[in-house]
Amino acid sequence: MKNFAFLNNKLLKRNAKVSSTFLLLFLLSSCGKPAQDATKSLLENLNKTYPSQSGGTFIDATIGEPSGLIYMVAGESAAGAISSNIFNKLLKYDKNLDLEGELAENWKISADQKTITFKLKPNLKWADGKPLTSADVLWTWQAVIDEKTGSPYASDYQLVKKAETPDALTFSVTYEQAYAPALDSWSGLQILPKHLLVNQDLHTSAFTRKPVGSSYYQLDRWTHGENIKLSRNPRSVLGQAKIDNLVTRIIPDSSAQFLELMADNIDSMGLDPIKYARIIPARPELQQKLALYKELGSGYTYMGFNLKHQPFDDVRVRHAINYAIDKQEIIDGVYLGLGIDIASPYKPGTRWSNPNLKPYPYDPAKAKALLKAAGFVDSNNDGILERDGKPFSFEILTNQNKEREKSAVLIQHRLKDVGIQVNIRAIEWASFISRFIKTGDFEVVVLGWGLGLDPDQYNIWHSSQQAPGQFNFIGYNNPTIDKLLEQGRLELNPDKRMKIYHEFAQTLLEDSPIVYLSAGYGLTAIHKRVKGIDAPAPPAGVGWNSYDWYIPEPLRRNEIAAK
Amino acid sequence: MIPLLIGISLISFFIMHLAPGDITSNEAAFNPKTSEESRQKLREMYNLDKPVIVQYGLWMKRMTTLDFGNSFASHQKPVFWQTADKDGNITKGMIQEALPITLMINILGLMITLALAVPLGIIAARKYGFWQDKSITLFNFIGFSIPGFWLSLLLMYWLGVVNNWLPISGLHSLNYESLDTWSKLKDGFSHLLLPVIIPSVTGLAGITLFVKNGMLDVFHQDYITTARAKGLSEHKVVYTHALRNALLPLITIVGLSIPSLIGGSVIAETIFAIPGMGKLFFDSVMMRDFPVVMGILTIGSALTLIGNLIADIAYAWADPRVRRGVVRD
Repeated sequence: MKNFAFLNNKLLKRNAKVSSTFLLLFLLSSCGKPAQDATKSLLENLNKTYPSQSGGTFIDATIGEPSGLIYMVAGESAAGAISSNIFNKLLKYDKNLDLEGELAENWKISADQKTITFKLKPNLKWADGKPLTSADVLWTWQAVIDEKTGSPYASDYQLVKKAETPDALTFSVTYEQAYAPALDSWSGLQILPKHLLVNQDLHTSAFTRKPVGSSYYQLDRWTHGENIKLSRNPRSVLGQAKIDNLVTRIIPDSSAQFLELMADNIDSMGLDPIKYARIIPARPELQQKLALYKELGSGYTYMGFNLKHQPFDDVRVRHAINYAIDKQEIIDGVYLGLGIDIASPYKPGTRWSNPNLKPYPYDPAKAKALLKAAGFVDSNNDGILERDGKPFSFEILTNQNKEREKSAVLIQHRLKDVGIQVNIRAIEWASFISRFIKTGDFEVVVLGWGLGLDPDQYNIWHSSQQAPGQFNFIGYNNPTIDKLLEQGRLELNPDKRMKIYHEFAQTLLEDSPIVYLSAGYGLTAIHKRVKGIDAPAPPAGVGWNSYDWYIPEPLRRNEIAAK
Repeated sequence: MIPLLIGISLISFFIMHLAPGDITSNEAAFNPKTSEESRQKLREMYNLDKPVIVQYGLWMKRMTTLDFGNSFASHQKPVFWQTADKDGNITKGMIQEALPITLMINILGLMITLALAVPLGIIAARKYGFWQDKSITLFNFIGFSIPGFWLSLLLMYWLGVVNNWLPISGLHSLNYESLDTWSKLKDGFSHLLLPVIIPSVTGLAGITLFVKNGMLDVFHQDYITTARAKGLSEHKVVYTHALRNALLPLITIVGLSIPSLIGGSVIAETIFAIPGMGKLFFDSVMMRDFPVVMGILTIGSALTLIGNLIADIAYAWADPRVRRGVVRD
């Protein structure tokens, strides 16, 4: 009897709990109405023009949380995206991708091209008020080449034979021999404060999660797994940014990110072609409040041959396959038209890209003729070509990347038309790298290169870079290319350098060690409340002047109600 | 129990190291600005160049003092215990941060599941074969068959985007720190609503069926017939005599679910942007972050063993037959 009453009572309580849940749902629903009215008036104001003003909060999202904010140790792009708002480099690329000083006022290259002397701007300060001097630059260089740091990016800086600080504003580096990518490397090294880090382990130091920098923003709060909040650094060495706070929310799922963008809880996100070309254009309410931007990145997708394997050592076979693949079909089918075909490993429209080069056209007849010349004939009429009795068949290996997998399927189909049998295998990234790429145990790969702004690609194409773990894993060996790459590294004059890399790209295209598939556009949506964005984007990309972006007061999110 | 734990850790250590790749085969491994020499340095720093058995020995040596070590992938963040440096900056352990979140969500979810499953199971058993039973079964199986991530995304869209009733993802609002206590509670509640309710609804089917079958078994026993024959009210028959016996197997179920309480779901945590154990484990495996993987596996297997032990003890405590059996042996 007692038990019965007890249970019944509990059930009642449960019922009460359930009904209170529903009650709360209804309460919340009634709160929603005024918010919708606010949305309406926001939409009406979006297209007005406003004078530039400071204040407000810009919210974006990242898929992965940075492991720390010292980029040269953390290494991943999520860390770079945030640390670049906190730290400065000696040099930076301007709107048109020419180098200019950031912490450096100017720099001089010695007559023998081996020594670069940087002159720092006067009166530089860290966010904590301490002066930023050449001693900090020297210390950062020492830290990045230190074996204990284990920085993945150390190799460029290890080439420095001697680094000196004759005075507090001068920093000079001397190389064993002239090294043209040196300037680019100094536009990548974020300078760290010596006084806070000296005698500390860069891996375990609390600084990695509580950094002090010199740039537009400083870390306000990092809520682990949820968000990272930056606020304006009043001592910024580059002047004041317009927007007060930058919040980066950690949302690992891109669908959830998109829902947050639709609900106006984040201001910006990177899009995939389907969202850019299909979903947003089909929804007027999204078009009203989101501005879409596309810009070419300096990366591309390619199909690479293992040149140590037959028959890929035969240039006719490589040409045939290049002619047999319809690149426009891949761009239209996989990237929904949001890409372009390329003929050199450089971003089209930049100095380094040779404008005279044309991609291989789609020409199956030519492909068949070339394969015949290479000795491939269909002797048993099964639709697959043979040479010496062996059918022409190979396996395309790629990592688990939807766009690469789809490209591989289209390639499979086109190569079947000319009589080549292709199988496809997609593999998880870490296994892909260590089990197949490092060991050279593959026939053909579909992969991508994401590249920097310097044209030097010695690590990728030079014949000396073929050891396991190095980047010439396709086994490319061409003395002409080797010579050009070596020359390119020694030549600091931009015009002479350009000629070298134009010739390099032409030789590469003729030799066809890889098939360029496409260079995809980087796609971004930014809420229209953010003003001051350059459109169309200059060569340096949409974000080049993000410190000048502003959010006019009437368009700001109600900070109290911000979810 | 200790030998069992060592066995488990040995097997998981070797399986983890059998997978190709290590911490250096991450995203940055394909950046042409990085070099193989620096990757080799990193391997040496983490003893990854030594034979697996030596690495296991080193790990075991640390574990004897319950030192879970530092993560490879996250700037050597401690895996479990928090550390403080000489300036008093505290760095929290990765599991230490993720575990309470996952525990809270899963315990709440389990409570809701039980609170719904027990009454539903009883009703289904009492009205066995009638429309009540059939509609409960139908409802359960719809919940069971709907993919959780799909339902989550739909509800996120409907409740978060179309109607703006609930936040879409995350654990707290951005202005959480500036809220008063009541608003903080409301904020936490509204963020947790979907992540807790959806898995408990989709997990309802199993436990409801369990309760229902338990009840049906008991209903067919002689002592229930006796109870009815001596004229007890139906309520008393069901709740006093039948339910107590039918609920006994539930103890086992709850005991066995203790390890899954710390497991967390990768998909749900990814969709709702919750920094919990499932996501942590998944990411660590993908990054080949061995100390974190081993830390989670060790804690998981220890909890599994403890869960089994607790279930056995609780069973003996609740069921006199088992207890007497134990005493007699």
